[in-house]
Amino acid sequence: MSQSRDLTLRRANRRSQLREYAIQGLLIACSFVAIFTTIGIVASLAFEAIRFFGKIPITEFLFSLEWSPQTAIRADQVGASGKFGVLPLLSGTLLISFIAMSVATPLGLLSAVYLAEFAKPKTRNMIKPLLELLAGIPTVVYGFFAALVVAPIIRGMGAGAGFEISSESALAAGSVMGIMLVPFISSLSDDVINAVPQALRDASYGMGATHTETVTKVVLPAATPGIIGSLLLAVSRAIGETMIVVMAAGLAANLTANPFEAVTTMTVQIVTLLTGDQEFDSAKTLAAFAIALFLLVLTLGLNIVALRTVDKYKKKYA
Amino acid sequence: MMKKLLLCGVVAVGLAACGGGDSSTTDAPSAGEKAAVTSGRDQIKIVGSSTVYPFSTTVAENFGRSTSFKTPIVESTGSGGGLKLFCSGVGANHPDMTNASRRIKASEIKRCADNGINDIIEVKVGYDGIVLANSRKSDQFNITLRELYLALAKDIPNGNGGTKPNDHQRWNEINPALPDTKIEILGPPPTSGTRDAFVELAMEGGCQTFDWIAAMEKTDKDTYKAICHSFREDDNFIEAGENDNLIVQKLNANPNALGIFGFGFLDQNADSVQGTVINDVVPTFENISDGSYPVSRSLFFYVKKDNIGVVPGIEEFLNEFTSERASGQDGYLAEKGLIPMKPEEHAARKASVLALETVSLD
Amino acid sequence: MPDYLLSTSPAMAKRHARHTRFQWYGRIAIAISISFMLLMFTAIFFRGIGAFQKTMIAVDVQFTESQIDPSGTRDENSLKQANYKPILLQGLQQVIPGATERRDRNNLYKLLSNGATFDLGERVARKPELIGTSQRVWVAASSEVDLYVKGKIDPDVPEDLRRLKDRDIAWIETLRASGQVKKQFNKTFFTSGDSRAPEMAGILSAALGSFFSLLICFLIAFPLGILTAVYLEEYARKSRLTDLIEVNINNLAAVPSIVFGLLGLAIFLNFFNLPRSTPLVGGMVLALMTLPTIIIASRSILRSIPQATRDAALGLGASKTQTTFHHVVPLAMPGMLTGTILGMARALGETAPLLMIGMVAFIVDVPKGVTDVATALPVQIFLWADSPEKGFVELTSAAIMVLLVFLILMNVFAVYLRKKLERRW
Repeated sequence: MSQSRDLTLRRANRRSQLREYAIQGLLIACSFVAIFTTIGIVASLAFEAIRFFGKIPITEFLFSLEWSPQTAIRADQVGASGKFGVLPLLSGTLLISFIAMSVATPLGLLSAVYLAEFAKPKTRNMIKPLLELLAGIPTVVYGFFAALVVAPIIRGMGAGAGFEISSESALAAGSVMGIMLVPFISSLSDDVINAVPQALRDASYGMGATHTETVTKVVLPAATPGIIGSLLLAVSRAIGETMIVVMAAGLAANLTANPFEAVTTMTVQIVTLLTGDQEFDSAKTLAAFAIALFLLVLTLGLNIVALRTVDKYKKKYA
Repeated sequence: MMKKLLLCGVVAVGLAACGGGDSSTTDAPSAGEKAAVTSGRDQIKIVGSSTVYPFSTTVAENFGRSTSFKTPIVESTGSGGGLKLFCSGVGANHPDMTNASRRIKASEIKRCADNGINDIIEVKVGYDGIVLANSRKSDQFNITLRELYLALAKDIPNGNGGTKPNDHQRWNEINPALPDTKIEILGPPPTSGTRDAFVELAMEGGCQTFDWIAAMEKTDKDTYKAICHSFREDDNFIEAGENDNLIVQKLNANPNALGIFGFGFLDQNADSVQGTVINDVVPTFENISDGSYPVSRSLFFYVKKDNIGVVPGIEEFLNEFTSERASGQDGYLAEKGLIPMKPEEHAARKASVLALETVSLD
Repeated sequence: MPDYLLSTSPAMAKRHARHTRFQWYGRIAIAISISFMLLMFTAIFFRGIGAFQKTMIAVDVQFTESQIDPSGTRDENSLKQANYKPILLQGLQQVIPGATERRDRNNLYKLLSNGATFDLGERVARKPELIGTSQRVWVAASSEVDLYVKGKIDPDVPEDLRRLKDRDIAWIETLRASGQVKKQFNKTFFTSGDSRAPEMAGILSAALGSFFSLLICFLIAFPLGILTAVYLEEYARKSRLTDLIEVNINNLAAVPSIVFGLLGLAIFLNFFNLPRSTPLVGGMVLALMTLPTIIIASRSILRSIPQATRDAALGLGASKTQTTFHHVVPLAMPGMLTGTILGMARALGETAPLLMIGMVAFIVDVPKGVTDVATALPVQIFLWADSPEKGFVELTSAAIMVLLVFLILMNVFAVYLRKKLERRW
């Protein structure tokens, strides 16, 4: 009698154990999707990029100073080789990102400091969602606005001041992108600032420092590594941004640091190369995948450095 | 309590969906999905050039409204991408037609043949003028192809039988009669068919006015092309993408700049931009149509003959596209900026399309 | 604020001035960001508000049977496809008798939208008893007329620079004088798909395309996201494998969205041969893109659930799974839903990856399912921004307004959910 009861219990036990395993298996399978996605991304980019490097040597891609995919649309045209140096694209991308960051960093950091340290809870609760809304606006909207409103204004201001600004200046695309990044920086820095232990602040107040002195001399230095991490994340977002630059930046691969000139970016080239009228499977379309691979490596590198910095910082005060 | 129940419900739905979601992202598509993919299509699918897109969509819409067939789907992929999709196979899984702002190439016909597509019908849509234009805030430009070439080329003749890098910064350096403003031209990138056609018609036309270069065409074709086809890459020429609407906006913002785009955009924006007179010919509908305006090209689309009968409505669509009310002289495409073929050519083309004659390149 | 007004020395005053100044920097920074947003919204609002109204023209139509249905069968299809142009033209000529030549008649007819005859066809097909009667019907005006009535075409511009000629304007004024022109709410904008004619174009098919894409995105990303988060937070012991998964997720969050588009192009379209341009593929790409966001948000919520909850459940004899799915997950659900909605809001506005998988298409018919070819709202905006017809400028801004309304609603809903269901531990 008791034996059969044992058996049922054991059976039930085993069944529930099986169920536990099954569920755990399902959970693991779900988490593997992330890994498969990464593999998929790398594989799909690498496959086409390798075909590209079969046509254009990788050294030329990485070190040549000229980007001019003027390969002929038809085989009998001249310039069938084209120039595929990624550096002008990289410089254009970095120039626009730099402009964006010089707009976003002061705005984002000051907003974060104000919200974290000075604002009354009521103000904070009102402002924060508003800033988050700024992050939620689709980039196609920013692009439309940059091309149709901001670029002419910047041009007009340049004309008023007596110098010529290209209507696709890096400045227009960059500054609009900067506004887009503000909430990104402010919310990340907000977290970082909040993580600075209260004890540090109390010590500072105890020494007779004002609130501002505490913030600038104690809290911000303590939070610097974390803030740098959040800035790096913002840079990686700026580098990968597509629609704003597609609509507002140019296509000319100028190797320049002049923000009033038109530059092009890696993402813009990917879109143009893949939607143009040229023959498919030419070096041109394959180049898009090589650029994408380069872009991926770049953003991932930045991201890894950024996350390390933030992690270290968090551990310091944990 | 209610809330909790609701939340548990959501979790349950989520869990149930996980299985399905999981498999569709990581594994091959399930049998059901595959069946949906390969089953017949009752809607014409068109891909291809962004230049033909506005015309194709207009016909598609009129076709959809005036017949009992579904409105065809038109996707803008660029001529090259379109031909690749078009040539990738027969059957309902692949597009029935592709638009092209240039003629199909022998290599593409071969690619099609390799995938079992042997019979392709070529439909000529009409002509597209490529114009230069500037803002109405400044004066109308009047230049020759030769001056245009001298403003845009990468290398220009140095006067004693050789070439030098283009050093023209202002228009009056080319011809004192031209305005004293910086040369600033916004134009399409090398990936675009508009650029291709512009190079062939305008640049080459200007370049041939130098006798020694023109003579080179026979003797040293490569150098000839290098001289005639290369665009300058400094900031006097700005690659502005194919979003021609934005070019028009940018011209308004910068009265000194000229833009290169299709005639349709000039026609639609005649209140803010004006066409540049080239070789004393104003880019008007009539001048492009009768061939006196030097920079115009033909637009095409290609149809898979084998898909007729597989996907309903293809023949009727061809009928609509080639009809007088669509692509004829006063047809509705003309209103969208298409330059129609002359009546005789239109009639001849129409007859061969409706007889389903297939293309051969000679 | 701590009180440190202990001294009134000049040095102290200076320090306090600095304090005030610093606060103002912060306020100004916030003000700049928010006023930029307001500037953007107003610019788009004023460009787009006109699109919510459209101009209609009244025509007195004689529905003669010989013209519409000569065979008298009242067959629905032939009623729809009958030629209504002559009777519409006759109606217009009653008010404007001058136009008799072929060219004039064509110009006169062009005051009306291209869609007017199809519209009439549908009305008659729905109500065949109209045949034989005479009715005043309101039909859409052409886009040019619409722009003129809205004051966006300046009649003082020289005539050859306008597509609308002086005589067209005189005709419109004649019609207006007899009360046959009115502006009304633009229902078409919300009830139809794309069109080449601005006055006939609407956002319904794009909006539904977005809806189906988001549906697929939700069905994939939400369960995958929370289950991954649950695994990493509740089940996994720290190991190489979980480290790898974590690194992967964090990095995926930083991958530019356009790269996900290339992934979709290479894997889903070229390798698995899933149908191009469909919400199915769009949704899958968007799901992979939002997955990291959802996982990261869900993990932080799970981490904030007090250990006591788990201990209590385990102590009462619940298994690990029971503890997790009966106690921890329900408590974390509001937070996880909030994270998901915010991720989906981002997906709704995403354009770049969809460009890569062929969702840039001209779609008139409304998509009925996830395997129908469709486009999405932001892509429609991108397409319209590219269209030559002037009327589309208005429509682009109007579509942006609609998109923003959806986004704000999703954000507000997420905030509400967080407020309503949030628990403080």
